[in-house]
Amino acid sequence: MPRLISICALLCLLGVSPAQDVRAPQNLTAGEEGSVSTTGSGNATFYLFGPGVSDKQDVNLGEDVRLPGSDLQNAGQYFAVLCSGDCRSTSFFVSAARPSSLTFLVHPSRVPVAQNDAVSGVAILFDKFRNLELTAESVDFQLNAGKASLLSRAVPEKDGIAWFRAASGKSAGALQVTASLNDLETLRAVQQVASEPCNLRITGQRNASGILVQTEPVHDCTGNPVPDGTIVTFTATEDGKKSTVDAPIKQDIARAQIAASGPAVISAASGVVMGNELRLGGH
Amino acid sequence: MVSKSEPIHRRRRGAGIVAMLAIMFGVVSYCVAADAIEVQLDTKEAKPRAVEALTERVILRDYRFAWRNMAQAFESNSLDALQGSFAGDASQWLRESILSQQRSGLSQRYTRQNHKLETVFYAPEGDVLELHDTAEYQLQFLDGGKIVGDQHVVQHFVVLMTPGADHWVIRQLQAVPQF
Repeated sequence: MPRLISICALLCLLGVSPAQDVRAPQNLTAGEEGSVSTTGSGNATFYLFGPGVSDKQDVNLGEDVRLPGSDLQNAGQYFAVLCSGDCRSTSFFVSAARPSSLTFLVHPSRVPVAQNDAVSGVAILFDKFRNLELTAESVDFQLNAGKASLLSRAVPEKDGIAWFRAASGKSAGALQVTASLNDLETLRAVQQVASEPCNLRITGQRNASGILVQTEPVHDCTGNPVPDGTIVTFTATEDGKKSTVDAPIKQDIARAQIAASGPAVISAASGVVMGNELRLGGH
Repeated sequence: MVSKSEPIHRRRRGAGIVAMLAIMFGVVSYCVAADAIEVQLDTKEAKPRAVEALTERVILRDYRFAWRNMAQAFESNSLDALQGSFAGDASQWLRESILSQQRSGLSQRYTRQNHKLETVFYAPEGDVLELHDTAEYQLQFLDGGKIVGDQHVVQHFVVLMTPGADHWVIRQLQAVPQF
């Protein structure tokens, strides 16, 4: 031991300094200033490589190298290299700052009512520098149709992502979908539309041109009027021959004029839904 | 005299061109082999949606392509090398890095890349994919062509990819200490 001390003392007397070294900072947060400490004496070149930065500067060994917050805005791994003769390096991590924005993807934009797992949403958390926020916070998802709450769920984010999947509501109209975290809130709207027609019923009567058939007001199974423009197909069978007429729903009702003089059987269908059969005698 | 020597001269020149092409081909093959990027993708843990076989192949192709482009961009200090493999935030910090390298005369060289990818999230509608990449490579830092750092690096990345018109792009590429 005394021999080691004397060797060190001799080296110092001869002006030989120990090799330089570089020490990384700990627990840095994006956008905050940091510093790298160096050892040794004399001049050196300091390099910083990281996401969004590649920089070099002359430094004095033994002093701290200041890392401005503007160089540390991107979360990730940074490498600090110190060269004076030979080079030494170290690395450190910068983590994301607190969440400041919430990207929220919701699908679909239009959805039929009363469908299981029909609405889904993905929330992605970012800090103010657009770094992915990886701390496990919970995102609150809320689905509201008018004053009715369809879903209220807190989902812990994993690797910056939280998601949900839910059934659509029972009434046509706007569905408000909200994702929130502390004071952050992002709102999306999904248009709920009537589902397939339910209990399709038709009536008809003869007139001078043949048979005028029409549906009763067309609703889905939860009572929502089916949108205008939905096609109803009327099929008439007369003497074993079939003819079809497509008619759009207007103000809840679809109408068609069928040219038939003899006894005819008329049916209606919309999408996968069949209506009742109507039998009319000839003139 | 001249007319007799011409075919011999042409043959020699032809043989020289062939030899040169062979050498160039050899050099190119060597470089490609040296910089071959290994990527393995495990989609077993993908939730809530399973990754389709075709999507899996495309992710492998595009992720490898993106890292090749990124390595070229960092080495040549060329923004063009990124070639649309990155978008959004990842594209922005990569561009900042390369512009910063151009200003300071620095560059980085990624070689012997090996990526072990694991799908951890695939959105219900298939529009966002999150991956964990355990990447290993040799990383050199260069100052005007002089190597100032050379180390074997093992890095963990959280990656967000989204589908583009005909390929997947990396939107987020964030190194973390561990998964």
